[in-house]
Amino acid sequence: MGVISRRKVAAASIGMLAAAVLALTGCSSNSSTSGDTASGSSKHLTVWFPGNDPNESKYVEQTMVPKFERETGAKVDVTFVDYTNLSPKLNAAFAAGSAPDVFGHGAAAVADFVKNDRIEPLDSDVEKLSASDRKDLANALAGAKVDGKQYMIPLQMQGWLLMYNKKDFTEAGLDPNAPPTTWEAVKSDAEKLTKRDSSGKITRSGLLLQTEATGRQQSFATLIASAGGSQLNKKGTKATFDSAAGEKALQYFVSLYQGPDAVATNLGQDYLNEPTAQQPLVTGDAAMTIQTAQGASKIAAAYPNGDWGVVQPPKFAGQSEGYAFGGSGPGMMINKDSKNKTLAWKFIEFMIDPANYNGYIKTIGGVPNRSSALSTAYVKNSPVLGAWLKASSQWVPNPNVPNWVQARDTLDKYLEQALNKVVTPKQALKQAASEVDGILSANG
Amino acid sequence: MADDTVALTTARRAGAGAGTPAPAPAPGRPRKRWTRLNWIGLGFAMPAIAYIGIFSIIPVVYGLVLSFTSYSPLSRSGPVFNGVSNYAHIFEDGDFWKSLWVTARYVLQVLPPTVVIALLLAVLVSRPFRGVGFVRSALYIPQIVSLTAVSMIWLWLYSQNGFVNEVLNAVGLSDQHWLISQSAALNAASVMRIWKALGSNMVLLMAGMQSIPKDLYEAARVDGANGWQQFRHVTLPGLRSMLVYVVAMDIIFLAQGFAEIYVLTQGGPLGSTTTANYLIYQQAFQYNQLGSASSMAFVLFALIAGVSLLSMRGMLGRRSS
Repeated sequence: MGVISRRKVAAASIGMLAAAVLALTGCSSNSSTSGDTASGSSKHLTVWFPGNDPNESKYVEQTMVPKFERETGAKVDVTFVDYTNLSPKLNAAFAAGSAPDVFGHGAAAVADFVKNDRIEPLDSDVEKLSASDRKDLANALAGAKVDGKQYMIPLQMQGWLLMYNKKDFTEAGLDPNAPPTTWEAVKSDAEKLTKRDSSGKITRSGLLLQTEATGRQQSFATLIASAGGSQLNKKGTKATFDSAAGEKALQYFVSLYQGPDAVATNLGQDYLNEPTAQQPLVTGDAAMTIQTAQGASKIAAAYPNGDWGVVQPPKFAGQSEGYAFGGSGPGMMINKDSKNKTLAWKFIEFMIDPANYNGYIKTIGGVPNRSSALSTAYVKNSPVLGAWLKASSQWVPNPNVPNWVQARDTLDKYLEQALNKVVTPKQALKQAASEVDGILSANG
Repeated sequence: MADDTVALTTARRAGAGAGTPAPAPAPGRPRKRWTRLNWIGLGFAMPAIAYIGIFSIIPVVYGLVLSFTSYSPLSRSGPVFNGVSNYAHIFEDGDFWKSLWVTARYVLQVLPPTVVIALLLAVLVSRPFRGVGFVRSALYIPQIVSLTAVSMIWLWLYSQNGFVNEVLNAVGLSDQHWLISQSAALNAASVMRIWKALGSNMVLLMAGMQSIPKDLYEAARVDGANGWQQFRHVTLPGLRSMLVYVVAMDIIFLAQGFAEIYVLTQGGPLGSTTTANYLIYQQAFQYNQLGSASSMAFVLFALIAGVSLLSMRGMLGRRSS
């Protein structure tokens, strides 16, 4: 073996390093032709479901997927990814070219995927559904479009309504069967429902809205819509929450937590995502709280002897109708780079087929994506779901625009400052609008 | 082994002399030649070199490159060079400076108690007593559990109907908003982190104490030194190197605080627990701005490296003087 100079060794080392860099670059390439999803063959499908509901994952993995595999002869790999990690994992998977064939996410995420050409338009597939199916799904489908094109098939509807304990209403001298219809009346009733100790500290909140990160903005979305305002203009290019309606909504929101007539405590607490047994309605820490259909269903199922009531979306005085945050819930999308788009659509079609879907929606306790579900035993027998379906025309979703997450968090930051009296509602909305406009301007 | 080396070297010299003309010597410094033995050594080192290169150096260099670009992982176009605008932007970003202050506060309120309590515990468990092994293990257990898992447990402890408030209620005190109060959240996270870090610091300091020669203690006792004087004049000087290591490592780990913040407070309330690392996570994975996040990461890296070096120089400098 000959003698090799240091220069040659250095050259060889650099060569090896360069090869490693190229290999890594290749691994992380976001080539449009990647499409090398985990599924390599046409009969192999990878699916990511959003969330971590054990009942849902058990039903999907043990009932739905085996049935789909039997019917199609395909092999389906299902992964449940909790919402907090869903976007980071999907982004990393897209960058690496290993994103799943089918994946689920909330409606507010769709626009960013569309902007970056990551998901497949589904209009031609939806067109192939029967006319009655399309009509039945119309409400859900409408909320999952971007620029008029269908990109997601919602698996459920979602919305926030006020749920209350009728016994607390009776105890406070309120009619439990005549819940308030305006936000002003909600506050007035909440004052009667609020309990304090001798020092004046609230021991039972008369009313709780969600005030944790993200939840603050969604509570505000409910209030501003009910006050006749909106968060963004129709094109989604400019903030419109810095308005009289926005200020009225935020003043109201702040008044629930601050001042001598406050009716709520634990500002910033995320009660909605706590276990059923820890829900403030159940523990007696609150008499009236915002709830999701799933949360309400779980409470009603776990405490069947409870006497629960649900309030239809209240309006502010002078407005014609009340609204609540909600609309099309999480749904399924198809990766544009998937090599199995036909099988991917079959899987989505299978999911929304009433023969399979009814068991699924019953398991998760959600609001069905089909109007015809009103006549199903699942809805009829539920003590709470009927109220959610009844309110479905009054739900307002978050804007479906690119960079919404950053715009939302910016608004949320200032809402938090207002709720903590760091700034006034007027200042909060003005500063938030200025920053949100800057973020949205990047969308072109 | 030495004989083999001699034989190989001799054989190579012979070979070079017989067939291969020796290369002309370079002017100036003599060129080092790579022998078979050098190649074998390089072969043994290659797995470690490849590991460090692929999993440490290349990602760091790639991160540095990204910090001069605009890049969303969702985008198909890849990183777009934008010069130093990310750095210019973060220096004007109030949230970034606030996060650095939160990070500094976090380090400053966790580091001293962690080191002092760990030192006291190390002194305590260095002495033989019944059950010392159990006590040492019990104190070390928090270290071997993942920070995320530990944070989940403390999330429950601190929750509104959690164990800590139950204890307060049991002794007649009112509930506290541990994680949703601006004045309490970072302190609550700090208490958890102090508890978590005690075990490893204690073990390191205990190892340092065991390396101090017993003769020094005997000599001190002969000179009439009491327990405190022995600790002050024998133990502490003997532990200086280990203390430098413990302080430097703690600064490095604490300044990168993320998992506990992510689980306990998500950076709130009012940004009072938004550490620099949490802000970087938000930029990179919530807003898909990897370029901006990378520039923040490199500024944080420079600050951590600077503070660590300063603390090491400060502590070791005293010894040399």
